[in-house]
Amino acid sequence: MLKVLLKKQLFEVFRGYFYNRKTGKARSKANSIVLFILFAFLMIGVVGGTFAAIAIGVCIGCAEVNMGWLYFVIMCGFALVLGAAGSVFNTYSGLYLPKDNDLLLSMPIPVKILITARLLNVYLLGVMYSGVIMLPTLFVYWVIADADILTVLGGIVLFLIVTIVVLILSCLLGWVVAKISLKLKNKSFIIVLIALALIGGYYVVYFQLQAWIRTLVANAAIYGENIKESAYGLYLFGRIGEGDLFAMALYSAVTLLLLALTLFVLSRGFLKLATSTSSVSKVRYQEKKAKEKSVFGALLTKEFARFISSPAYMLNNGIGVLLIPVFGVFLLIKGDELLNMTATAFGGRTDLVTLLLCAVLMLLATMNDIAAPSVSLEGKGLWILQSLPVEAKTVLKAKTAMHLLLTFIPLLFSEICAAIVWKAPFAEKLLLFVVPTIFAVFMTLFGSFLGVRHAITEWTTEIIPLKQSAAVTIALFGGWGFVALFALPYFLLGLLTGLAPYVAAWIVIFAAASVLLYRWLVTKGAETFSRL
Amino acid sequence: MLRIENLTKTYGDKKAVDNLSLHIHAGEIYGFIGHNGAGKTTTLKCVVGILGFEQGEIFINGSSVKASPVECKKQIAYIPDNPDLYDYMSGIKYLNFVADIFGVDSETRQERIRKYADAFELTKDLAQPISSYSHGMKQKLAVIAAWLHAPKMIIMDEPFVGLDPKAAFILKEMMREHCNQGGAIFFSTHVLEVAEKLCDKVAIIKQGKLIQSGTMEEVRGNESLEEVFLELEAE
Repeated sequence: MLKVLLKKQLFEVFRGYFYNRKTGKARSKANSIVLFILFAFLMIGVVGGTFAAIAIGVCIGCAEVNMGWLYFVIMCGFALVLGAAGSVFNTYSGLYLPKDNDLLLSMPIPVKILITARLLNVYLLGVMYSGVIMLPTLFVYWVIADADILTVLGGIVLFLIVTIVVLILSCLLGWVVAKISLKLKNKSFIIVLIALALIGGYYVVYFQLQAWIRTLVANAAIYGENIKESAYGLYLFGRIGEGDLFAMALYSAVTLLLLALTLFVLSRGFLKLATSTSSVSKVRYQEKKAKEKSVFGALLTKEFARFISSPAYMLNNGIGVLLIPVFGVFLLIKGDELLNMTATAFGGRTDLVTLLLCAVLMLLATMNDIAAPSVSLEGKGLWILQSLPVEAKTVLKAKTAMHLLLTFIPLLFSEICAAIVWKAPFAEKLLLFVVPTIFAVFMTLFGSFLGVRHAITEWTTEIIPLKQSAAVTIALFGGWGFVALFALPYFLLGLLTGLAPYVAAWIVIFAAASVLLYRWLVTKGAETFSRL
Repeated sequence: MLRIENLTKTYGDKKAVDNLSLHIHAGEIYGFIGHNGAGKTTTLKCVVGILGFEQGEIFINGSSVKASPVECKKQIAYIPDNPDLYDYMSGIKYLNFVADIFGVDSETRQERIRKYADAFELTKDLAQPISSYSHGMKQKLAVIAAWLHAPKMIIMDEPFVGLDPKAAFILKEMMREHCNQGGAIFFSTHVLEVAEKLCDKVAIIKQGKLIQSGTMEEVRGNESLEEVFLELEAE
């Protein structure tokens, strides 16, 4: 029974490898094998390889000063973070909020078996994530430093301890995520903020990691002594990898105790957890006079409500709303120095700097792909707009307007910042406003056009229209292509044409394309939308 | 009020609705019955302008659905078989959205929301997100949204599915009241007892073709509607 349940759960996790998520149809065996090979390459080759390279650097430095324990502390720290972070969301959905709890609880399956299957699933995912660090860590140590019976035994014990601690952390963090998602009111914004903080943190760590490791390895003896004195527990933990039997016994006992405690707490509360529904505090309805809106206003409000309701929509398709003003602020702080340096690099050609500044603003505008998935996102609720007395063109205009507003306002801010910082002639400053703005209008209409042409109204998860649809992919990469088409030829033609005529030609092109796209949208696009 | 003339709708080679004609007058509750896949939902979707059609015409109060879709939609309300509403809105926001689209003024919408939400005991849940609603609550919200702009014609696809007995009773009362005030209702159902008790007229559709229509007395004669339906299905 346990095997059947485990197989079912792992199948759910890896379902995408066997079934096409867009069509729901089974993939061919060859297709599944290729996807698994790609996954294995990504996990073992890319992630595992990266950590193997880090492990080699750290191991050499630590082994030189006879501090193998410090090496294990550092690498196990990475494994714990990656293991817990990687499996926390699967734990959340798989352990606390699985869709099939009611079904399985109605079957003659003992609750203990159900919990064990769920936990084994979490454990295996944790092993997968932490294993890509732990396995290279152990092999690197055994090859570079020492590989006697005790260190190999210590390595195995360390692997088991780390993966079990990952399981415990995942259960704990999954519980926290479940609680947060049930209790918070503005969870969309909070999820977006957390995700942005994590992405920011990731890049900070990514860019600093090598420097940190270099410093650590260079001063391993000093840091090691400090840690040993102030955090003896960490020292003892690292000693497991070096084959210290006392450390192995102590940490195994503590880990098993924590595991038993986790199992005890989970088994006591599992039924309550599995059968409880959202306990979010009810918002009491208080009757009040509603503010009347025009049809267009109502549609626009609806579009904004859709946008802010989904962290995935905001993060995947509206990140430009944040990035564009961040660039403006960056320009205000560092722009003067950076732009002058660029001008010097281009032999004093300010026209090239103006062009590049326009191109960067345009590129940032392409980070907003809000209109492209908008029609697809109507999904099963499409009947509402189709049966209400609104013209399809008004619906499409509202979708386009939201994208435009969310791009134009931050863009205007960054354009003003650019104009303040960049000491260029007035005409060139004017171009900083006109070119990115007209391009943003063009990209908005292009996104709306793609959204109607490549609409997918049948989907199982909103990630499909948001990330995997043709509309979004073409809008994003097409946008980059347009920016390249705009900027690159100038490096060849610039001296011949001069900046103003060159850019004027592009303004005409983008404006004409915008007019054509708009006309298509309110005629054929509207017709297509009403027959979706 | 609603005139369907020689409606034909095809999906590829298959005729989902085949030369169907019906005439629904003001004050009538018109039931539409047929087995699964007979063409009921397709017909209703053509009437409300969700689906286009190849042949025939549909008129609502003299306006063609093909030529003046927005004009027609202003006079009707539609409740689909599965109320997939905007999950990201609260109940009250959805109702205000519909009211804005139909141009219902603040006082009127407030009064109607209060009246119908109280009747369906949904008032206390109006501020909750629709995603937290049960199927029945969504159905009730869809009914309130349909009645919100006082439409002349209401089109409903299996409206009683998911409603508790009390809510189903209230809906039947609302349907009768609507028709007594000069409105009309065209709805599909599988519950023949409901159709028999509630409808003034009934139409039976089989494989896209209208096989029987008329007043309840004309259609069933001395038999029950269930017997008539099963006999016609067996033919």
